[in-house]
Amino acid sequence: MARELPMVAAINEALHTAMAADPTVIVLGEDVAGGGGRREQGIEEAWGGIMGATRGLLKRFGPERVRDTPISEMGFLGAAVGAALTGLRPVAELMFIDFLGVALDPLLNQAAKLRYMFGGKARVPLTVRTSTGAGLRSAAQHSQSLYGITTSIPGLKTVIPSNPADAKGLLLAAIRDDDPVVFCEPKSLLFVSGDVPEGDYEVPLGQAQIVREGHDVSLVAFGRTVRTALDAAELLARDGIRAEVLDLRSLQPLDEAAILATLARTGRLVVIDEATPRCGIASDVAALCVDRGFDLLNAPVRRITAPHAPVPFSAVLEDAYLPSAERVVAAVREML
Amino acid sequence: MIVTPAALPMATPVAMPKLGMTMEEGRVLAWTATVGAAIERGQPLVRVESEKSDFEVEAPASGILRHVYVEPGTVVPCGTLLAAVTATADEPFDPSAFRLAHDRPPDAPPPTTAPQGSAPPGVTPPRPAGAPPAVTPAARARARELGIDPAQVPGSGPGGRVTREDVEAYAARRPRRVAVGGGVAIEVVAAGSGPEVLLLPGFGTDVAVFARQTPTLSARFRVLGMNPRGVAGSDAPEANRYDLSTLAADAARLVDHAVHVVGASLGAAVAIELALAHPERVRSLALLAPFVTASPRLLAVLDAWCRIAEEASAEALATALLPWFFSDRLLADPTAAARTRRGLAAILSRVPPRTLARTAAGLRAWSGTRSAMLGTIAVPTLVIAGADDLLVPDAPALADALPSAQRLTVAGAGHAVGLEAAELVNAAILRHLEACTT
Amino acid sequence: MRPLATEELLDAYRKMRTIRAFEERLQELVMAGALSGFLHLYTGEEAVAVGVCQHLGPRDMVASTHRGHGHCIAKGVDVGGMMAELFGRRTGICKGKGGSMHIADLDRGMLGANGIVGAGIPLAVGAALTAQIRRTGGVAVAFFGDGATNQGQFHEALNLAAIWALPCLFVIENNLYGEATPVEFVTPVRDLAARAAAYGMRSDIADGMDFFDVHARAGEAIAQARAGKGPTLLECKTYRYSGHYVGDPLTYRTPAEAEFWRTQRDPLRRFEERVVADGFVDAATLRRIDREVATLLEQAVAAAASAPHPDPEDLVRDVYVRG
Repeated sequence: MARELPMVAAINEALHTAMAADPTVIVLGEDVAGGGGRREQGIEEAWGGIMGATRGLLKRFGPERVRDTPISEMGFLGAAVGAALTGLRPVAELMFIDFLGVALDPLLNQAAKLRYMFGGKARVPLTVRTSTGAGLRSAAQHSQSLYGITTSIPGLKTVIPSNPADAKGLLLAAIRDDDPVVFCEPKSLLFVSGDVPEGDYEVPLGQAQIVREGHDVSLVAFGRTVRTALDAAELLARDGIRAEVLDLRSLQPLDEAAILATLARTGRLVVIDEATPRCGIASDVAALCVDRGFDLLNAPVRRITAPHAPVPFSAVLEDAYLPSAERVVAAVREML
Repeated sequence: MIVTPAALPMATPVAMPKLGMTMEEGRVLAWTATVGAAIERGQPLVRVESEKSDFEVEAPASGILRHVYVEPGTVVPCGTLLAAVTATADEPFDPSAFRLAHDRPPDAPPPTTAPQGSAPPGVTPPRPAGAPPAVTPAARARARELGIDPAQVPGSGPGGRVTREDVEAYAARRPRRVAVGGGVAIEVVAAGSGPEVLLLPGFGTDVAVFARQTPTLSARFRVLGMNPRGVAGSDAPEANRYDLSTLAADAARLVDHAVHVVGASLGAAVAIELALAHPERVRSLALLAPFVTASPRLLAVLDAWCRIAEEASAEALATALLPWFFSDRLLADPTAAARTRRGLAAILSRVPPRTLARTAAGLRAWSGTRSAMLGTIAVPTLVIAGADDLLVPDAPALADALPSAQRLTVAGAGHAVGLEAAELVNAAILRHLEACTT
Repeated sequence: MRPLATEELLDAYRKMRTIRAFEERLQELVMAGALSGFLHLYTGEEAVAVGVCQHLGPRDMVASTHRGHGHCIAKGVDVGGMMAELFGRRTGICKGKGGSMHIADLDRGMLGANGIVGAGIPLAVGAALTAQIRRTGGVAVAFFGDGATNQGQFHEALNLAAIWALPCLFVIENNLYGEATPVEFVTPVRDLAARAAAYGMRSDIADGMDFFDVHARAGEAIAQARAGKGPTLLECKTYRYSGHYVGDPLTYRTPAEAEFWRTQRDPLRRFEERVVADGFVDAATLRRIDREVATLLEQAVAAAASAPHPDPEDLVRDVYVRG
């Protein structure tokens, strides 16, 4: 059975499900409940998270397992790593991935490396939920898509859903994965609804999904850009160009086989990423195509990304900043 | 150019091809199909002239010629969209949008809808002047597999880029040249896969006379169209005459086992000679308008043919020969007549006068010498003739002289029965071939 | 604090002697070119690690620093495994993948030495969080230096531990230098324990060169933590005989200063003087322990030097638990 839910509610469902099934799952972050310490005034959960993703958890699972933290990303992420190292399964929230700047060490040098450095004896089953992306007029320091950084760190995993059903399944898989996983929540999709199955299910990490079949060109997308790719595919179809859309879902592990398979089918590939262009996922995918799919290439690989600039505040500028279906269509036309 | 199965409802572009490294532009001479007409893949669609030669651009797909973008007389750069073919006549089709998507002359700027900020802005360095067109890696890999030099392949991609589809299309069309001894190489145009069928064209023509047969046959057989010595891309060695025994021996060198043989007119005579002199090469015979003895009228026409070819253009020759090949019925339709004349002229232009003279001499020497031997031809044989054939009126009677022969006489068709009554002829040949194969 | 039994005294001495011998042996090995990488020796600070860890059991956790060999040995990590790790061998406690700054043994509650200054402090807070939620009765101890108290992670972690009343002990090993810079040059307060006040946290100061003082004060703090009364910040005034790392030219302090600490304040000598004077242990027993430790070290070095190197496949092994 499926019902229509916005992505934020699907995430909430995953958290409830995970915490009910496993007492070692704890949630910590800024305002994950909100209004801490004001019980006597009848305030128990003021926010349930800045977008409501953690609503109802404090009430159901109690203050030991659901903890509002000070604004100390390095401190509480480091504590989350320590807790994961010693038997808990923490889900820590880094409210905006932009705050990675003040919290990189616990992820980069601790969570990512302890297992390897300790010869395989440690495991860090930590999940870091974080919001990514632009489109909400939140300006440069609250709109970035820094998953390229976390993806590049060996020892971390990074996933990003494009729809509510995948959000629930990927988060459950991430929490249950024994490695540290960064779970990216594209903020422009949090209130977009879709069918979400009931019950407990997982979307495997490292598995991309074809969301539209075609054989003239492959559009590789993830998160927000899956919708962009589908819109472009519709426009192209009017001219008889049939585009195939691949939703990566997982950035590390990356489903390289799926990328090469779609390239083999069409010979032409466009990758669409809302992040900035240097050293990012788009370049990574393009390099894979050239490195391992050279003889399959019937046209240049095109990358459609944001420009090499911070996210602007002005709505007009921000709309031009983000990849659009028109830009994808124009790139495809140049490839044919 | 996107090549798609004809069954899917989408439009296929036809672009001005780039034949060879130096071709920059071409002039559209004439459309051999009309807008709205049903066309078959491989059928000549438009005649085009470049600096070096005239050639036919073939239909890339079967369906309807839906829209023509460039009128005869116009010169356009390579890559320019010439026409669109749709699978059906009534599916939605927007000519302007289609042109926007597919019109790719090499210096055209990218569509203006490309906004600022698509993936890292920067100038792609232009290819150095005189550099050959780019070849995609996939095209290069496929060319390697097929043993093709990518520099020979006309490119239909942006900027004349050679794509994998271009290599596939080229491979499907390209002739091979096979050494047949004595320093002579014979051109073979291959298509399709399956059991082999050797096609032998008639006097003064090349394998293009089988244009209506090849698409059908190549769907289930490997079709090998032989251009005899002196014709089109085959060598034209010095000689007083080209004996039919020589032509048959050339054919025998093209394959190393018994194959089906289809011959038209003189090609049928070569087929008979092949069955007599090289029976181990022949599995079955399909003879279109065959003869073993050339009638006086036929010899006279051939004489006129040789003389006109020495002095006049291929168009004039085609005009003269048209009534001898085709029925009045066909020629009564001016559009069909004009189209047929154009097609015939193109074929005739590929056979030089000296070849005509040599082959005619060989035919004269052979004529009448084999009639007594026909009884020894044991392979299954199909004789097809046009009831209104002026050059070989007694073709059907040949079936009587052949032990295992079936006959088909097509009412209302002339000497070029394969062109004029293609559907009937194709069906009969297919039945004949399939019966032999089992 | 109840007095220590003889067994406990001997155990404490053995551990301190092992740390001293281990570190001095490493110095020799580095000078001989047998070891590579950055090595940070704990010589002189033995009383701090052992004084604290004598109170810890299997369910208690310790997070350490780049200068972590002492904490490892005090927490009971196998010396042979440590030596093999320093030699980068497959038989090392981390299979040769970690090296000196990342020696760990989670089975013994040793959460690892750490190459990032201050990074172990939040890890210990996390371990204390686990202990609190799972009601293990365990405590988590973070060892770190004077320099780490200027790191953001220190402040954020102490704040968290305070508001959640976690069963933690934060031990500052104030050895008067952060790398090549004297502590007073970069820290506006003389007693670093004063920083606990900013977090409403209990604090204490111990003579880090005196095993008994460290032991007594650490004991109180740990008892408080186990009783659910929250964390303590314990500053141990100590001194490192070696440089920041082996090979450090030590040009930022006078040889006379180091000489003073070595001769006047040495923890092993002071321990021996006290236990022998108080009649608990005789010197001969201590000498026997010295010899046993020496033998143990030699065996460890010999075994490590001849142990196999990691396989090439180990290069990419254990990046993830799965995939």
